[in-house]
Amino acid sequence: MDLQNLNPSSLKSRFTARFLRALTEINAPKTISSSSPREIFQRYRRIKVAADKSMAYSVRSRRIWSRATLWRLRTRSRSRRLVSFGRRASVKTRTTASHGKENKEHHGAVLGVQAEELRELVPGGEAMDLCNLLDETAHYIKCLTTQVQVMRTIANLYSIE
Amino acid sequence: MLHRLESLESCNYNGMEARLKWQQQNYVVQNNNLVELCAGSLPQFQGLIGSNLGGAQMIELKRPEVFLGSVDFQEFVNFPVVGPEFGDSEKLDLVPPEAATNYCIFRTSSCQMSALNTSVMKEEREDLILEKMESATGIGRESFNKRKAEAVADHKSKDKRIKGEGESEVKANCSTEISRNSSKKSSKASEVLKPDYIHVRARRGQATDSHSLAERARREKLSKKMKCLQDLVPGCNKITSKAGMLDEIINYVQSLQRQVEFLSMKIAALNSSVETLPMKEFPAYVANFPAAAKLPETADLPYFQLNPLQNQSVNCMLNESMLPPQTGAEGIASPSVSSSSSMTQLQPFSTWNTDPQGLSNMYNMGFH
Repeated sequence: MDLQNLNPSSLKSRFTARFLRALTEINAPKTISSSSPREIFQRYRRIKVAADKSMAYSVRSRRIWSRATLWRLRTRSRSRRLVSFGRRASVKTRTTASHGKENKEHHGAVLGVQAEELRELVPGGEAMDLCNLLDETAHYIKCLTTQVQVMRTIANLYSIE
Repeated sequence: MLHRLESLESCNYNGMEARLKWQQQNYVVQNNNLVELCAGSLPQFQGLIGSNLGGAQMIELKRPEVFLGSVDFQEFVNFPVVGPEFGDSEKLDLVPPEAATNYCIFRTSSCQMSALNTSVMKEEREDLILEKMESATGIGRESFNKRKAEAVADHKSKDKRIKGEGESEVKANCSTEISRNSSKKSSKASEVLKPDYIHVRARRGQATDSHSLAERARREKLSKKMKCLQDLVPGCNKITSKAGMLDEIINYVQSLQRQVEFLSMKIAALNSSVETLPMKEFPAYVANFPAAAKLPETADLPYFQLNPLQNQSVNCMLNESMLPPQTGAEGIASPSVSSSSSMTQLQPFSTWNTDPQGLSNMYNMGFH
């Protein structure tokens, strides 16, 4: 099992490297007041975003869900900065959502309800037919398990020290 | 009609004569049968022939429009190969004896509806021949995968177009021969003959409509993918229905996402109380952490001792997510996740609880 992990270009090692780099960036501006709940909450947000982002970057743009995740993160950061143009950004997201819903109606309704739920879960799943959705789900599950493993290890290492 | 004869003549094979002789010995069909059968329509004809011969071979045909070749045996006739009656045929004197087997079929076709092409019959007859002559000839075997019959669509058939070939190809592919001969009545997927078509065999007793075949191919693809997902999601071996599988998959994805959130929250909380860690050797260390998946299951509980402030932040985060507690059978019974969900179940926390002590008690309770 260890031999597998030694592959430097595997998904796991790529994600680990990126995530740790992001963590160091997050932890770098360390102040005394960082232990307040609000700070912790903010940090939690940033760490989560960093985790998703680093996983999506490790997958590059090969997968629909990774592209969707990256696009979503970028638009969110953009919409946060442009507060005055907040309406425009929300309109943008709304149009994409409505477009996705139109697609949902056309899809074969063999397992419609669950397929819809799955589409909501998997990023970018709104505009996919069931066939591709299952492919994306499989890859997404694989990447999520890797992410969970690595983050768990990191958390353990943090808690040990 | 003569041009059809000529086309048939041009389609002679190598081992044809040997086959013909063998068949002339073994098959006999009376003339009056043919006449009766000719009078009826095609389905009746098929039925009669099938009943008369009982145990004749199955034939198959290619459907090039979707290029889904159908092995729909019930639809096709077990054509007999007439032996000595050829001489009695007055219409077909011109045809040389090598193509004698074509006669009967050609004659029957000429008797019945004109639309059905003789080459179709030829196809079927050849299949018949090959079925019978498994052991006899090794050379002139043809791959049914590569032959197409030319015909005008029969108005009595289901409006399908059958393309044909002037010549038949002899394919020395033993594997397909063997598989075909061994599984005459089963289905298999054939290889791509033309670059833009995908050839699929329809199974016995199933519709050969192009739409239903495409639908069936799509369904098979879906089921294949569901099987792959079944391997990924733990604990799905017993579930057979698609809906149940999808539910399991949805639960699993949700639980994984929640785990990621929970772990990121944990890292954030732990970061505040920990100095900077040596980051250089971290990536390799983390990646090579042995049993990284197994260890934290048990290690989470004793290590997760939060101070009251962290408890508050944790509660805040839990409320923020407010995920509904999962009652479904989750494959990973991760204690951390289940405890967090049980936490949300226990009490609906308001944000920023002012009782740190109570919170820490709650937390310790939840984690045990």
